[in-house]
Amino acid sequence: MTAVHNGTGADEVRHIEFEAAPARYARGWHCIGLEREFRDGKPHSIEAFGTKLVVWADSQGEIKVLDAYCRHMGGDLSQGTVKGDEVACPFHDWRWGGDGRCKQIPYARRVPLRARTRTWHAMAQDGLVFVWHDHEGNAPIPEQAIPLIDGGPSDPTWTDWAWATTVVNTNCREIIDNVVDMAHFFYVHHAFPTYFKNTFEGHTATQLQKGVNRDDMRPAEVAIGAPKRLGNTSVATYHGPSFMIDDLIYHYEHGDTRTVLINCHYPIDENSFMLLYGISMQRPEVQDDDPAAADALAAKMVATVRLGFEQDVEIWKNKTRIDNPLLCEEDGPVYQLRRWYEQFYVDVDQVTSEMTERFEFELDTTKPIEAWQREVEENVARRAEAAAAEAAAAAVPQTQDA
Amino acid sequence: MGVRPDNRLADAPMHPVACTSCAARVLVRKASWQQTSVQWSDEAMAACSSWSPGSAVKGLPPVCDRLRDSIAQAVVDGTLPVLAPEDD
Ligand code: FES
Ligand SMILES: [Fe+2]
Ligand SMILES: [Zn+2]
Repeated sequence: MTAVHNGTGADEVRHIEFEAAPARYARGWHCIGLEREFRDGKPHSIEAFGTKLVVWADSQGEIKVLDAYCRHMGGDLSQGTVKGDEVACPFHDWRWGGDGRCKQIPYARRVPLRARTRTWHAMAQDGLVFVWHDHEGNAPIPEQAIPLIDGGPSDPTWTDWAWATTVVNTNCREIIDNVVDMAHFFYVHHAFPTYFKNTFEGHTATQLQKGVNRDDMRPAEVAIGAPKRLGNTSVATYHGPSFMIDDLIYHYEHGDTRTVLINCHYPIDENSFMLLYGISMQRPEVQDDDPAAADALAAKMVATVRLGFEQDVEIWKNKTRIDNPLLCEEDGPVYQLRRWYEQFYVDVDQVTSEMTERFEFELDTTKPIEAWQREVEENVARRAEAAAAEAAAAAVPQTQDA
Repeated sequence: MGVRPDNRLADAPMHPVACTSCAARVLVRKASWQQTSVQWSDEAMAACSSWSPGSAVKGLPPVCDRLRDSIAQAVVDGTLPVLAPEDD
């Protein structure tokens, strides 16, 4: 083994190093939940990015997001009511428009000049609501737009989102690390990837995984009556710092099932984040007898995903932050992923090509390496032979001379 | 923040590999027969002329199969070392 040098003796203790989690939040679109939940005519409260937001739908059905804390005397707008297009503060009834301006103070003759609060860019697509965050306060970057989902609830042949959320009390870098952590699939989730590839490029980070399941280790899934899974093919891509679309094909005993898994989060503060995830599933073609069966299956699948995340959360709850993970050759590209992730934390003009240039990491256990190795050996032997022949040829004139 | 260097690169850095069918030059590291890392530059991305949609799997970024072949060939030629050459 050659792993022990670089000035550190084999006996020296390796120290875990970490800086405090960054005091800013990633630049990008963050999904805050299901559209249908924000469309009930009420203001909603979202604790995110170290503050509190109020989210509501105006009379045109447009989703509006403002700082929740009222600029009058600090009331919480998310506890107020929607009146017409505006959100009314529960404290003194100031009416705030989606453009951030106070439109009316019922008890005052005129609104003060500076009655303007912070607005957040918001959008809805595929049944999900997104909020744009940028530390520098810039408008959304077109390249970071979230692509429309291929399939999913917008397609009537797919089920609606089976959705779940949970608060995780750690910095969100932990969940990002999962993109590259092949080994944890085996040890934490009992899945066995036979092919694995990461591609980081621009603002996307992709994980392709083809796997078979470990038969020995699925009692939890069996307990909830999840169908027996043989394996899966998954193409999961982070579009920006927090929103992952996973085109996930499950291979069951009875055939394949196409699903889309959303895995996303928004930071609550530096040390906690809201994890949101959901599944939509293509309805099997022959199923006129029981149209609800697909929804029931999707709900079961999301329960399976919940089990997976619970396993992660259990690890995260107890682990430490670590900036200098000691990686072995079999580990994935953790440092390279973090380099990619860094682009969302620095100012736009500080983004370097190092952070965005393509990096690929591939693990292929299916390629027959024996043949390849034989080819190399033969090549080495051929070259040795050629070298020997050359040496012999070079020696000939000398013998003639002598 | 500032991301630390990968501890594995200190012992065995990446090696330049040129695509045999285009002008792309990348950095490659083979930690084993099964495992390959490729660092592209924006110049190499622009130089590569044979992007294919990336296997049969939908949603995967395009790949250059010729570069993949070039990497395999570099191993055969002995210009790209395989760090853990034991088979498993
Ligand atoms: S604090 Fe909101 S109206 Fe007074
Ligand atoms: Fe996980
Ligand atoms: Zn090429």
